[in-house]
Amino acid sequence: MAYRHFEAIEKNVGLLGILIAIMVSIGGLAEITPLFMRAHEVRAPSGVKPYDPLRLAGRDVYVREGCYLCHSQMIRALRAETERYGHYSIAEESVYDRPFQWGSKRTGPDLARIGGKYSDQWHVLHLMNPRQVVPQSNMPGYPWLATARIDAQDIQARMRGLRKLGDPYSDADIASVPDAVKDKTELDALVTYLQGLGIRNEPTTMPSATPATDGGEP
Amino acid sequence: MSLFWSVWIMFLVVLNMGITFFLYLWAPRAKIPMREDGTSGHVWAHGVLREGVRRLPLWWVVMSGAMFAAGFTYLVLFPGFGRFKGVLHWTSHGELAHNTEANDAKLGDLMRRFSLYPIEQLSADPSAQQIGRRLFLDNCAACHGREARGNQLVGAPNLTDDDWLYGGTGKDIYTSIHDGRGGVMPPWASLGEDNVKNLAQYVLSLSGRPHDEKAASAAKPLFTTCAACHGPEGKGNPAIGAPNLTDQIWLHGGSLADIETTIRGGRQGHMPAWSPRLTDDQIRVLAAYVYHVSHADHASQP
Repeated sequence: MAYRHFEAIEKNVGLLGILIAIMVSIGGLAEITPLFMRAHEVRAPSGVKPYDPLRLAGRDVYVREGCYLCHSQMIRALRAETERYGHYSIAEESVYDRPFQWGSKRTGPDLARIGGKYSDQWHVLHLMNPRQVVPQSNMPGYPWLATARIDAQDIQARMRGLRKLGDPYSDADIASVPDAVKDKTELDALVTYLQGLGIRNEPTTMPSATPATDGGEP
Repeated sequence: MSLFWSVWIMFLVVLNMGITFFLYLWAPRAKIPMREDGTSGHVWAHGVLREGVRRLPLWWVVMSGAMFAAGFTYLVLFPGFGRFKGVLHWTSHGELAHNTEANDAKLGDLMRRFSLYPIEQLSADPSAQQIGRRLFLDNCAACHGREARGNQLVGAPNLTDDDWLYGGTGKDIYTSIHDGRGGVMPPWASLGEDNVKNLAQYVLSLSGRPHDEKAASAAKPLFTTCAACHGPEGKGNPAIGAPNLTDQIWLHGGSLADIETTIRGGRQGHMPAWSPRLTDDQIRVLAAYVYHVSHADHASQP
């Protein structure tokens, strides 16, 4: 190469653009392509099942209402996070989430392991109007969920769609939908979904429940 | 990582760093033909702007060189070059384990000291109170409120008074937090609306509040059913968390309408179990904090 090569690039904006695109894309090819091509190798850990009908309906309400805009579902491997939220999240936990709800925007707390932290009734009051239980909260209320019914056929169609994508739903699972969502509101579905977060899909390395001691008396 | 993707990444890293480093070393040495007027002959804006021939500024050369050095050092120390783990063997979970261990070591002495006292005594320790308040705000405040005064809507009891559904010793509080509590009052709508209203009047009479005498005495025989849990005198039963009905403390609201709703529809209180979400040490500190706030008003007691 000599000066004339530089001059050729400098005077030909099309060539300059192509060469810039090649150099910039190298980073993406190295960092994104391998993970993208290997995404299908992430398998559900044993015990993790696809969402049952009511939780699936709740998950879709969660996505529709944009909960992910303020709540992440990814506990990072940092002590400040694991102290507060529990074991850090792993990719396998999200195999049945389409799309995943990891996120990085936290106006509210992370919800990856919120399941069981509060009672069902707390969630109902909190979703109807968060100020009923947390006076300082700036989360909006979602009172219309209490009157919106779940459409069983809609959920069945979603399950058939997910089965095409590889989720192991059986015909019996899909046939059970009308019973599972009978008389349920979107509020019920969302609470069921939230109460399952982190409960049925946590890594097996989690410490198991310890029995109550004598109250820790010395 | 498979060999293919490892080689793929290595190839791209070498290609990228190679091309840029080659240009970095070679480009400044390229001979730029210079016209007599000291310019390269390139003109813009119809000759208004002309391109001079100058050396690259030293700051640019130094900073670009530093960038190559930093990138190269990073790939030696940390994972990034395909399968190569880096000489530091750094991983995010290793870093987390290290930080947790360091923190546990810092807390270790404190926790050992805490374990020497019973919870009642621990509640007077300022460090325990401070740690306990942090844990309380993050885990308990959602139902019991930031000041631990409870929330009748969700049936979360006030923790700052000296009335306890399941007992108020350090051990009782520890067990309530560790295992959770479930309070169930069955619905009595089947008794008929008249009986529900009469019973509500009788419940009002138990705590000496204004009530309808006639309705209350009509419901008195019915209270034998309630007495199974609340006791014949309505004083409650801490073994099953049945509230005392003779005091002025109401778990789910004390208005006549609230009491009628409670009798008609029943109530369900659910305090989740905090094990294993919290460690035993944390639960002890938390119990000590709750014990502390419940005794804050009468500090003369232990």
